[in-house]
Amino acid sequence: MIQHKTNRTVAEVTGSCREAMDETRIADILAGEGELIPSSGFLASVMERVQQEAVAPLPIPFPWRRALPGIALTAGVFGWGAVELIRQGLPELTSLPPLTLPAALIAPAVQAGWVAMALGVSLLCWLLARRLAGRGGLL
Amino acid sequence: MNATLSAEKNFADPDLADVARVLTGDVAAFEGIVLRWQGPLVNMAWRYCRDRGRAEEMAQEAFLRAWRGLANWRREGSFSTWLFALAANVYRNELKRFPVETLPLEDVPEAFGPASQHREVEERIRQEAVRRAVLALPLRYREPVVLYYFHEMDVAAAAATMGMPEGTLKARLARARALLRERFPLLKVACTAMELTALTTGKEAMS
Repeated sequence: MIQHKTNRTVAEVTGSCREAMDETRIADILAGEGELIPSSGFLASVMERVQQEAVAPLPIPFPWRRALPGIALTAGVFGWGAVELIRQGLPELTSLPPLTLPAALIAPAVQAGWVAMALGVSLLCWLLARRLAGRGGLL
Repeated sequence: MNATLSAEKNFADPDLADVARVLTGDVAAFEGIVLRWQGPLVNMAWRYCRDRGRAEEMAQEAFLRAWRGLANWRREGSFSTWLFALAANVYRNELKRFPVETLPLEDVPEAFGPASQHREVEERIRQEAVRRAVLALPLRYREPVVLYYFHEMDVAAAAATMGMPEGTLKARLARARALLRERFPLLKVACTAMELTALTTGKEAMS
């Protein structure tokens, strides 16, 4: 009985002792790592990149002042559209008067409408881009 | 008065002096900072990736970020604390983008065998295995280990670099150690027979 108790105590103490030794061992290995010396060209390479950064032009900030009228206008148009849509009610859209064009012209007219809209959007994009870039006028 | 004190402090601390010069437009003054900190930053990067070429690339990126961010340094702590925190952030992000290729922790070989006749070589291989095993730890446990030993076991410095409370860092360190212990059971042999003998003898004498 005494022997059994002694063995268990030894096992317990051995366990804690081992745990402590493990930690020391791992700590020794991880802490005792040699120093790495940077290569001879490291400093020059860093300074070269820093010099490049120093002479590079500053990034162009987003022209919020120029963009604001456009953003406000767009928001206004969408807002007005949304308000109108809600005010008139969605079901009423389906009760619009039917087109009175001859049947042969309906398809080309629809195509032309899409083309005109695409051209209009392109023109708007171009004008907006020119405005953001700081140039006024059409040309 | 404050300006005088500040000037004296700048004069005493070469980093502060160089930072002040850089901020006035003297690009060459940054060389002093790189010269003083290239060793620590490259070594820190090396501990993150264990690849010399990559460590230098990562350290270079850290210096560039420091260059860009010097104007935003609020001087709340020391320059080194700020620089190490910035570098750790760069290294962490870099390793997230391109992780180090590692074996799973359970597959890292434990180089140890009773039949080995080349103790020194064996010891070196085992040490390298332990260091590589650190890389196989999950990032949340790996980074505290890397920084704790990089800062020569200074918990406060490692916690400041990681920007986390010391208690959290200690908890993660304990978990990381437990994972390493599980992976390297043969390190347990280090508990010497002499201690056991002494213990057993003592108990027997008592009984």
